[in-house]
Amino acid sequence: MGYAIRTEGLTKKFGGRAAVDQLALDVPEGSIYAFLGPNGSGKTTTIKLMMNILFPTAGRAEVLGVPSAKIGPEQFRQIGYVSENQKIPGWMTVPQLIGFCKPMYPTWDDGFCNRLLEQFDLPNDVKLKSMSRGMKVKAMLLSSLAYRPKLLVLDEPFSGLDPLVRDELIRGILELTESEGWTVFISSHDIDEVERLADWVGFIDKGKLAVSESKETLQARFRQIELALPADAHVPQELPKEWLVPQRAGHAFRFVESQYGNGSSERFNAVFPGIADADEQSLPLREIYLALARHFKGANR
Amino acid sequence: MLPFKVTFTPGLSVHEQVLFAAKKAIVCGQLKPGDAFPSVRVLSQELRINPNTAQKVSARLRDEGLIEMQPGLGSVVAKSAHVLSSHKKELLGRDLEHLVVEAKKLKLTEQELLDALRQHWKNLS
Repeated sequence: MGYAIRTEGLTKKFGGRAAVDQLALDVPEGSIYAFLGPNGSGKTTTIKLMMNILFPTAGRAEVLGVPSAKIGPEQFRQIGYVSENQKIPGWMTVPQLIGFCKPMYPTWDDGFCNRLLEQFDLPNDVKLKSMSRGMKVKAMLLSSLAYRPKLLVLDEPFSGLDPLVRDELIRGILELTESEGWTVFISSHDIDEVERLADWVGFIDKGKLAVSESKETLQARFRQIELALPADAHVPQELPKEWLVPQRAGHAFRFVESQYGNGSSERFNAVFPGIADADEQSLPLREIYLALARHFKGANR
Repeated sequence: MLPFKVTFTPGLSVHEQVLFAAKKAIVCGQLKPGDAFPSVRVLSQELRINPNTAQKVSARLRDEGLIEMQPGLGSVVAKSAHVLSSHKKELLGRDLEHLVVEAKKLKLTEQELLDALRQHWKNLS
């Protein structure tokens, strides 16, 4: 399998502080990769490094097989990039924006463009600067989708948008995937929005990558385990390192097993011999993320 | 619009949930032999799910003989889609497991659970 994006030891320091710290992630071709993390965790900086807007302090990034420092117009013809703080030509209307972008992209697809125009329900006679944020994002996404880029990079596309606009954007993004050779990389702090969309997930926290793997294996290896402790139960100080955020409230004991199926029952039996019925629940992406974030917070203390 | 409904529960596999809903529609006769089955693209678009997931769902349904490709028509519910009682049982499998787990938590005996089931069966028939 090829990779649309690969980074290795990617690091960016601002005044000695690492905003992106030794990042190693691979984005497989043909995947929708959700790059998740809290505000200020380094998502935007990472994307700017990939897009050759910032230059790394150390390490490297490769995008569509080209080192990020060499990404130029030729690569940008195959990359769609929509970011939260993008400068937009506010004086243009949507038809003017289309007329402006189209000559730059040999792969521009008029039919696709018209379909998106209709789907996004964008006005023809309003200047971008007078549009709502949702309209602006739709216009920018349209101008980045219509040439069917091989790689679509979206930096926080959904933030501050109402559910209807979010839904329209998701449909638009999915439209891209019907052509051959596509990859989508979306950064977001809104996990629920991308749960169904993504098949690869990366979690970044304070510039460090906590997880980067397929959503399927990630969800398969996390379980919330809850049990009722017998009256005389003893909970050891040292718990298996695979158990995240252990908590006790009265007789209830709860933790997140991070390597479920991989020796998890042996671990459980070693700590709680003789306890047979524990409740095991699979976790939504959001809960996995929270467990990891709390775990790292605790570990840094 | 899709000819079947999926209500997603976060945390459960998206692929399994869609597969379950599609099978249920076929087994219950909501989708009949010869009916068009949505393409990967339509599944992905309508459910807002990853196209790779939609692809997996279609492949599984084809492998199990529930849908088939018809040239020029796309996927249709298989004419020979024998709805086996094994399919029906499979659809209840998860609920049954859940029921047994809950009954065990409540420390019910097998007989007590069966009696309770029978009572409910009677109430509804």
